[in-house]
Amino acid sequence: MPITTTRRRLLAGSAAALALPAFARAQGAVKPRLTAISQWSAGSDGAAITALGKKFEEKGGVWQHSPVPGFTTEMMNKLRAQIMAGDPPACSQLKGPEIAAWSKIAPTVDLDAVVAAAGYEKVVAPDLAKLHKPAGKWIALPLQIYSTNMLFLSKRAMDKAKADKIPVTWADFNDLAEKMKAGGVASPIANGGTRPDDGQKFEAALAGISPAAYRAAIMNLDKKALEGPEIKAAFAQVRKIADWMDPNVGAQHFSTNLKRFVDGDMGMMIMGGWAQGVLRNAGFKFEDFTIAPGPSDNGKPVFLLNADAFIFWQRKEADLQAGQTLMAQLVMDPAIQTMYSQITGSIPVRTDVDLSGEGWSEGQRTTSAALKSAIASNQALLSMAHNMAQENGMTAAMIDVITEYVKNKTIKPEQAATRLADAVEGAR
Amino acid sequence: MRDRSFAPSRILIYLVVLLIAAAWLAPLAVVVLNSLRSNEEIAQGSMIGWPQHWAWSNYLTAWSGFCVAETCAGIRPYMLNSALVTTPATIFSTLLGAIAGYAVSLWRFRGDTWIYGIVTLGLFLPQQMRLLPWTIVLRDIGLINTLAGLVLIHTIQGLSFTTLFCRNYYVAIPHELIRAARIDGAGFFRIFWRIILPLSGPILVVTVIWQFTHIWNEFLYGVTFTSGQQQPVTAALIALSAAVADIPQHGVQSAAVIIAALPTLLIYLLGGKYFVRGLTAGAVK
Amino acid sequence: MSNVATMKPVRPALPEWVRRLPEYLMIWVPLLLSAAHLVSFSLWTIWISFTPSTLVPVSGWVGLRNYSSVLASRNWQIAFDNLLLFGSAFVLLSAATGLALAILLDQRIRGENVLRSIFLYPLAVSFVVTGTVWSWLLNPGLGIQKLVHDLGWTSFKFDWLIDRDMAIWTIVIAAIWQSSGFAMALFLAGLRSVDTDIIKAAQIDGAGPVRIYRRIILPSLWPITITVVVIQLQFAISTFDLVRALTNGGPGIATQLPALVVYDLMFQRSLLGRGAAAAVLMLLILLAVLLPYAAWRYVQRRRAAHA
Repeated sequence: MPITTTRRRLLAGSAAALALPAFARAQGAVKPRLTAISQWSAGSDGAAITALGKKFEEKGGVWQHSPVPGFTTEMMNKLRAQIMAGDPPACSQLKGPEIAAWSKIAPTVDLDAVVAAAGYEKVVAPDLAKLHKPAGKWIALPLQIYSTNMLFLSKRAMDKAKADKIPVTWADFNDLAEKMKAGGVASPIANGGTRPDDGQKFEAALAGISPAAYRAAIMNLDKKALEGPEIKAAFAQVRKIADWMDPNVGAQHFSTNLKRFVDGDMGMMIMGGWAQGVLRNAGFKFEDFTIAPGPSDNGKPVFLLNADAFIFWQRKEADLQAGQTLMAQLVMDPAIQTMYSQITGSIPVRTDVDLSGEGWSEGQRTTSAALKSAIASNQALLSMAHNMAQENGMTAAMIDVITEYVKNKTIKPEQAATRLADAVEGAR
Repeated sequence: MRDRSFAPSRILIYLVVLLIAAAWLAPLAVVVLNSLRSNEEIAQGSMIGWPQHWAWSNYLTAWSGFCVAETCAGIRPYMLNSALVTTPATIFSTLLGAIAGYAVSLWRFRGDTWIYGIVTLGLFLPQQMRLLPWTIVLRDIGLINTLAGLVLIHTIQGLSFTTLFCRNYYVAIPHELIRAARIDGAGFFRIFWRIILPLSGPILVVTVIWQFTHIWNEFLYGVTFTSGQQQPVTAALIALSAAVADIPQHGVQSAAVIIAALPTLLIYLLGGKYFVRGLTAGAVK
Repeated sequence: MSNVATMKPVRPALPEWVRRLPEYLMIWVPLLLSAAHLVSFSLWTIWISFTPSTLVPVSGWVGLRNYSSVLASRNWQIAFDNLLLFGSAFVLLSAATGLALAILLDQRIRGENVLRSIFLYPLAVSFVVTGTVWSWLLNPGLGIQKLVHDLGWTSFKFDWLIDRDMAIWTIVIAAIWQSSGFAMALFLAGLRSVDTDIIKAAQIDGAGPVRIYRRIILPSLWPITITVVVIQLQFAISTFDLVRALTNGGPGIATQLPALVVYDLMFQRSLLGRGAAAAVLMLLILLAVLLPYAAWRYVQRRRAAHA
């Protein structure tokens, strides 16, 4: 795909708008058009993608977004059908190792020039950047970042427990949960019971106990690490978490519990920043809860990275190509990332965005600080539960074991560890 | 056994029937009540409860208010999409199934049992398995992302059911009737229009009801083979229930469920009597 | 060609097949399309099950590897066991419920139309909606259990949805609610077509209602029962949306069913080859059910032909 924006350097988002007229001339003055597929249809996700579309239209583009409501699987079905029909969307939502997997089945756009023009590479965490250029060239662009192991603390539950110290290690966490229980908090843990939710409990436990073991076992699938003592310890911690949950939650989503969480009937939640967007949309106040990095036994924040991204598929049409360039510029634009994150509760991908200003929450600032610290201490890891560490098949095999363990209290941590190692072998 | 007196045994019968009917209605009642409670009210209490404030606005939001990404038009446009697919697909599959069933049952031709057997096996082939092959077929005939493509899928897949039920129904029609008409010089279509179709009321009701509800409620093909503005009503319902980035919208969701189910419910209410009558004649052979 | 026009009054006798072309087209095109799609889709799936396909179909040959890994997976084993339990429980109970409802409705009761509609209406509702609504009702923290607790009976317990041994029964409940109306309609159809003369004769002979049901009416429902069982079995084997909305295979993986495993492998895990293998295994289960039925039908027809 020809990208001809070399004459002007696009340093920041405001510059992108200025650069556009020149770009459009180079393309033969076509009106940029973008066909996009995502699953973002409802709530803060729907609101954010809609706002992005508006910006696209403001820049003179034609925005043709096709949301596929429901599960990621249906979105992928749609994408697969379009690709098999030889009619891929100009860009689509995709993330983690799936970017590499899917890029093998259809030609993608080489975004190196437009990324270089924006100077984007310097401001993206290296581990994250790697996922978006699986064969060395940028083909996808991350849009926003979450940490899946942020710790949400209910103010009212803290009051009940007469606690004001934010737990740092798992031991602190367990103490606080006991205190909450003693103080009359019905369920110290407010998590839901969906498959990714169960996966998050495990990854938070393991990464907090030993980031190195997490990297080796979950990210690199190292056999020895998978049989190591940290895995068993993580399962033991997960059992504690499960015991503090409301057993009635079943397979309900975490959002079902948010009201009880704010009311102090439930105390803590290990969840991604998106919960913040949901809480705010639901009309709850930031004073009602505190957000802190998830428990980490070495005292330094561990960041379990989850990043939403767009992959760009090759198209011949001049207007779609122009649309792809415009979209790429927008996605990398700090102003757009700010807008997006402020709607969803995530943090920007760009590490150079200043979060001290208006519109950012304390929780987002904490998350951003945690990311910087985690990168510095090599504790920024890729989330397994949200399909960042492994391809979907491997992730699902791991979560099978974890979710069964969470729901079946007769399984011993040792047994679960063996099963996890077996499941990984079976899915290789 | 079929007297109308009010002996104790009859009172017992009524009691049992009414109890079961109440149990059968309970889920509907819960949805109707929830559709009139605000999201907040449901979140504070349980899913089963009497509305404290009648939230009629749920219906307005469900009908024309809530957003699926950038389209904030409620369920209305999706209802239209579903109607545009369901109506022709129901008519085509019913008519073609009636003709096929008529041919298989009354005209007997070489290979009919084989082809009939294969077609009815289609009832048992899982949907999920057919998704990718349909993708390839729609791609090759250029109907991907068109409502016509969906109509085609549902017509062809629907033939399994309609052919089976129509054939079973037509088998019971006396062959003498057909023989006499043929001697009079009536051909295939003439007999169909003049003799068979007028007799087909009950079984056509069965197939129409069956096809209509199945196609109306379908989700997997509906979202895979359409884009944005053409999606079926089930997609909008799923968008409302996906709580990934939102607190549950149980009130609006219930209202949308009721609205989306109205066409099929209505069809069952109107056709229920004929449904049993059609089955009486059709499914038993 | 010009002399054809001058011979207008005499219509040339078209060959038989040309004259009957429209009817051949109307009969054969739809039937052949339908049969062709079924046969080719099945063959295609069988082929894919022997390939290393992942995200999209690719050619290649991996022998029975996909089959062995599906058969060895915990998900499939649980799904298969569940299918045996769910399939038999659901088929028996929904047939029994349908029969009971039909007999009750056949007692010439008032308001039969209304009652019949009440038992039939769940058929009009989509599986996704049924699953969602029952997940509300059966969730102990949201539904029936909470309601009873709030009413004051706090020791009441109905938490099958979160009990991994009982969760499969919640699917049975929802499925019975949804589909026994169809069984009822079929049975009612059968009851209505029993020869009334025989019943009258029996009544004159002094037979009571129970005896009439046992000796005359129920035996005559035998063919319908087979139809009901086959249709409900087909429903049981292909149950998908309902489970997905109600338990999504949980708690844990306790309520996996084959259709769920097929979809999960094919599309969620992007292991098309394995998913296809699971689909073929599902077809084999179906055949195991259908072949005896087909044999029974064949024998029946032979008998009818000889009679």
